[in-house]
Amino acid sequence: MAADLGGIVGVLADAGVEVIVIGGLAAQAHGSARLTQDADFVYRRSDENIARLAQALAPFSPYLRGAPAGLPFRFDPPTIRRGLNFTLTTAVGDVDFLGEMTGGGTYEQLLPHTIDLVVFGRTIRVLDLPALIRAKRAAGRPKDLEAVAELEALLAEKEGPR
Amino acid sequence: MGSREPDDAAILRRYGFELDPVIEAYKQHVDRSLLRENLRRTPEQRWQMITAATRLAEEMRRAGKDRRGG
Repeated sequence: MAADLGGIVGVLADAGVEVIVIGGLAAQAHGSARLTQDADFVYRRSDENIARLAQALAPFSPYLRGAPAGLPFRFDPPTIRRGLNFTLTTAVGDVDFLGEMTGGGTYEQLLPHTIDLVVFGRTIRVLDLPALIRAKRAAGRPKDLEAVAELEALLAEKEGPR
Repeated sequence: MGSREPDDAAILRRYGFELDPVIEAYKQHVDRSLLRENLRRTPEQRWQMITAATRLAEEMRRAGKDRRGG
């Protein structure tokens, strides 16, 4: 079982859940030095993938983040199909599963803008750096713009003369 | 304020981005030496470091709370 948020990436990969790592975790994969307290994913909204996602996450007791305790919430396929973007708290930390990302779109739309990384022995899909910058620019919150500054510096470091 | 590195604007334009003055202002405070160090590591090494740093931050928060009697 995953002991932390990093481990949940492996759990999803082992269960065959089709997700793209976005947000702070993706930024870290590209070299960001900023700490992140949650893990963000865009998931494919096919029936099969929704079933795999619900099953893979079930052991971590997912619940709506910030919602009062005791709501009859179940992160199961009918709930996922009825909704789109879920901000969850789990036994290993806060996790967001987005069916659609601001400034990026759906899983299928983002797929051409991903890179494959082998992490902890599993191959995972991570949003590429230009797409991550585009998404953060679109979000436009102060914390996003601060993050964009670092991501653009990373892009320049990777592409510019050393 | 412009980018610290003169080539930044050309690199950004290559990807369809225009310079944003707010982002450029934030960029003045980005520690590029830290980024260069990070780029020498693999993504897995970066995540391991971040995980360790997060655990340390959580432990420091817990210790502070304990001391305050929380």
